[in-house]
Formats: sequence, structure tokens, C-alpha cells
Amino acid sequence: MEKRRHPISVMQIIPIVGILISITFIYLGFAKYGFWDEFKGPRPGFFPVVISSFMLIASSLALVFSFKEEPIDWPLENWLLPLSVLAVLIATFIIGLLPSLAIFVLLWLRVFEKCTWKTTLTVFAIIAVIVVGAFVLWLGVPFPKGFIINMINN
Amino acid sequence: MENLLHLFEGFSILFTFQNIIVTMFGAVLGLLVGAMPGIGSLAGVALLLPLTFKFNPTTAIIMLGALYYANMYGGAFSSILIGIPGDGPAVMTMMDGYPMATQRNRPGQALLTSNLSSFIGGFIGMVILTFMGPLLADIGLKFGPAEMTALLLVAMTSIGWLVGENPTKGVLLTMFGILLASMGMDTLSGYPRYDFGNIYLLGGIPFVPFVIGMVGFSQVMRLMSERHKETKISVDKLSIKDSMITLHDFKRLFFPAIRSGFLGTFVGVLPGAGATTAAFMGYAVQKSFKSEEPMGSGAIEGIAACEAANNGAAAGAFAPLLALGIPGSGTGAVLLGGLMMWGLNPGPLLFTNSPEFAWGLIASLFLANVITLMIAWGVIPFLVKILSVPTRLMIPVITVICIVGSYSTSNSMYGVLIMFISGVLGYILNRTGYSTAPAVLSFVLAPLLESNMRKAFIISQGSLGIFFEKPISLVFMLILLVILLFPAGRLVLTKLGVLKGKKN
Repeated sequence: MEKRRHPISVMQIIPIVGILISITFIYLGFAKYGFWDEFKGPRPGFFPVVISSFMLIASSLALVFSFKEEPIDWPLENWLLPLSVLAVLIATFIIGLLPSLAIFVLLWLRVFEKCTWKTTLTVFAIIAVIVVGAFVLWLGVPFPKGFIINMINN
Repeated sequence: MENLLHLFEGFSILFTFQNIIVTMFGAVLGLLVGAMPGIGSLAGVALLLPLTFKFNPTTAIIMLGALYYANMYGGAFSSILIGIPGDGPAVMTMMDGYPMATQRNRPGQALLTSNLSSFIGGFIGMVILTFMGPLLADIGLKFGPAEMTALLLVAMTSIGWLVGENPTKGVLLTMFGILLASMGMDTLSGYPRYDFGNIYLLGGIPFVPFVIGMVGFSQVMRLMSERHKETKISVDKLSIKDSMITLHDFKRLFFPAIRSGFLGTFVGVLPGAGATTAAFMGYAVQKSFKSEEPMGSGAIEGIAACEAANNGAAAGAFAPLLALGIPGSGTGAVLLGGLMMWGLNPGPLLFTNSPEFAWGLIASLFLANVITLMIAWGVIPFLVKILSVPTRLMIPVITVICIVGSYSTSNSMYGVLIMFISGVLGYILNRTGYSTAPAVLSFVLAPLLESNMRKAFIISQGSLGIFFEKPISLVFMLILLVILLFPAGRLVLTKLGVLKGKKN
């Protein structure tokens, strides 16, 4: 069955975003940061404007070629991972980073992947050794504790 | 002779307990990362970067160098045993490695052939690096801002053209990487730019979270689709005894390995070419020589040619990286970013200003080659178990390392946010045929390019003529022109019927 073509797909959106970024950088480069000074030479906007001009050409060409490209499938399942990371980011502000990561690993393996408790706990232990051993003990990284712990401590 | 003395000094710096341990650690990790399909050296080096913060720069780069180098060994394991390449350079190893393991029922010998050829190819690359590195640095000392600008443009555009399916997309991402790097503070005037009033953006986009996201997190997102694929290993059990090869087998691998070692090293020195191109070329050249068995049917010569070539290229790629500050690949760019983060400036002056570092690193590659060979040989009985680890279990492990590693670089959730955004962006770009390697490379090289380009224009008072007046920059500009016009020329020749078009 032939795939239904949308008028604009991600294949077009990427070069369009590229064009918009280029125009923004060129505009700010000229209007805000300056391009060339008669005595001092190149100003802070000079280099980004030159590069943006090339990006504008490349994006425009990519946009033209993109109409010949086949649309791509985006498996919904693949987005579960960034959504989980987003949840970890939000949970970090409440319960801290390490407990959020612990919950993520347990839920991911036990609920999503339906692993046995033995596998879940083995992988959890490996991750704990890496994080605690390398990052907490070896590098001494002060991970955020979240506002609940901070509130209790205060 | 002087170079050999420096190399011995490098060994004296290398032989500390800490350095030997990190070389072994890097080698083991490199083998594991290389063996597991889908991770690759780029993501491996990026994920490990935060762990090196506590080391001194020499020890840190020794570990990452060993990891990168051992990765070339490890990539062949999955190619030979499961018919799935662990990374790009191992694609060609599969052509003869997998048939040798399955059709000829010699999996252990195929692995040992790959290990020995990698050792020979790598050793040749390192010997050439020892002599070529300082020579390149001497040439680099003659480079002014115009020559450096032209060279950097060649390096950036060549990787943009060569990596990925579409050169236009490669150039787009090259420019995108440069623009991202230009956000924050203008390094020459100290003037804030493109910060959009955000205090975090004023400090620029942090390198480590950006690269972890672009190549690490995006890779895990891609692995999501493959997590239910079953890994079918061609053997149940492997032993060191069963992997021994005969003297006749060794004679068959030796000369192709020597030839490909030289070829691979010179391919590795070229910007943008890298280990994958070297492996392809090594295999192609071997086809024109006589093999005892037909190539593609499990010939020892086939495995030897591509494995020696990719390890030669991995070693050779350190020559422009150390001597000129120009990485030849995405992984090289991450290594360069690490060096800059530790306060070192690779380039012509590195061999003069930080000889202990440059020679310590070169010496460590020799040690990593020996250690990796021993570990790669010793690990053969455990490979069945290592390769059986399901991808679905790797996903949460790598995700946690991405998050924790990004946080640890700045002790701020801003790093995690950058990793997250660049990871999602990297995933979208990869799926739509945009390779992220040019963006990583240009992100690292952008400050150097800007500083040289602006200095060149100050000297010439805005005239473009400076890039065409001196012979070195003129040659680079001509190469740049050829690279830029090559796809257009190919298109015209295809339309005229001189060249064959791509078959759909």
C-alpha cells in the first residue's frame, strides 16, 4: 500500500528550521553585534553571519531536495525513553536526582520490559555500583536532593 | 632517532601504576563497547568523558585513547560471531569473518585472525605516527591564520561531505554545529552574543552534555526499535585452545595485514576518511591480490585486510589530531574536546610545549595495543556470554550514565537539559538522514576557525586575497573547491551519462 504523503513532513521541517535559524543569526549579527568596523576589522557578529549565510544556502538546497525524499515512520515506542527522562527531570526537583533515577530503572525494567525481579535487581545493582562508585564516591558529585529533603534539612 | 628517544621518554611517563590501570580499564571498556552492536566508539568515548575529570590530562587521554583504539578490536567480535557489525569499521570484517565462523566452522580462529591483524595494523600505524606526528607539527608551525583557516575549512567540509547519505545535509549540520558553538561569549572581544537574555546561554552550550546527548542519548533512542531483536550467536562455546591458528594461517594473514596497515594509516591521517573508509579500502585492495580462498567465503586474508586497515587508521588519525589540532572523525572531535577541556591546545606547539603529554599518549597507544591483544585473546571464552546481553537491558544503563554524566560536568540540571534536547534532536536528525558527526566536529573546531578567520581578515583588511596568495592556503582552498564542487560535477556527469546513477 502506498504511504500517504503529508504536505509537509519532518523532512521539510528540518531545513525550514535551518533557514529560520540562519535568518535570525544573520539579522542579530548585523543589527545587534556588528559585522565590520573600519578600524577594528571583524566584529562579534562577523563570523556567525558568514556561517549563517552558508547555512542558509545549505538549508534552502536541503529543502528543495527534501521533496524527493520518502517520509519516515516514527515509532511511538521510541518516544517513551525521552518521556521517561523528562519525568526524571521533573521528579528531580521534588525527590532528588538519584531517587528519581532509581525509580526510573525499577519501573522501566519491571513494568515496561517485564523483566523478572532477579534480572531487575541485578541490572539495578550494576547501575548503582557505576553511579555511587564512580560519580558519588570517586568524583564526589553533589547530586541535587530535591525540595522535600532540602525542606527537612532546613 | 630523536623521535625514538622522545618515545622512550613517553614510556617512562606512561609506566606509572595509575596509567597502566587506566590503559587496561580503557581497553576492557573499548572491547565491550565495540563488541556490543549499536553503541560504537563515538558514544563510548562521549559517555566516558565525565569519568576522566579527576585524572590529570595525560592519564585521562591515555584512558580514552585506549578505549577508542580497543573499540576497533571489539567491533569485529559481533561481526564474526553474530553477523552484525559492532561499529562502522567492522562492516567489512563481517564479509569474511561471519562465513569463516559459520560455513568453515572456525569461529575462534576468525577471532584470533582479527585480533592479530588489528595488532599488526595498529603497530604499523603507531610507528608511522611516531615519525609523522612531529613532522606534521613542524609543517604546522609554518601555518599562519590564513593557512589554518583554509585547513580547518577543508577538515570540516570533508567530513560533512563524506559522512551521511547527503552532502548538503552534512554541510547544513556542519554550519549548525559552528553556530551553536558561537553562542555565549565572543572569545576575541569578550562581548556576549546570541544568549537571548538567558544567563545559562551566556556561558555557551556546554560541550560534554551536548556531545553525550547528540551521540549517546540519541543512540539509546535508536536502540529502542532494536531491543526485541534476538541475538543469534553462531557458536555455543569458545575456548582459547580452539582459537589457535596454524603457522600457515599466520602466513596468510601477515602480508595482507602489513599492506593494509600502511594503507589504513595513510587513510586515517586524512580528515573525514577514518577507520570505516580504511577498512573498505583495505578490503578492496586485498581483492586485487591472490587469496587462498575466495574473498567473501571466509578467507583469512579478507579479515586481515580490513582489521589491519581500521586499526592502522585509528592510530594514524592521532597524527593530525595532535600535530595540527584537526580531528579526522567524530570520535577524534570528542577526544579533541576533552583535550581542550583539560586546558591543552593540540596543534603544532603541542610537541614543543607539552612533550610529556604528546609522547606519553603515543607511548600509551603502543601499550594499549599489546594489552588489548592480550585481553581480546583472553576474553574469547566469555564472548558468547558478553554478546548475549540483551539490548533492552542496556537501555536503562546507558540512559542513567547519560543523565548522571551530563549533570556531573557542571553540577547543574542545565547540563542534563542540554543533553536531553541535543539527544532528541540527534535522534530526529539521524532518522532523517542527517549524520550528527559533522555537528560534533564543527562544534569543537568552531572557536579555532573563528579566531584564525578573524585574524586573517584583520591582516588582509577584509580582502579574501589572503587565502589565495600563499601556496599552502592556495592548495587547501583548491582542495576545498574540489570538495564543494564534486557533488555538482558528479551530478552533471551522471546526467550526461558519463557516470552511472544510483540505483533505487
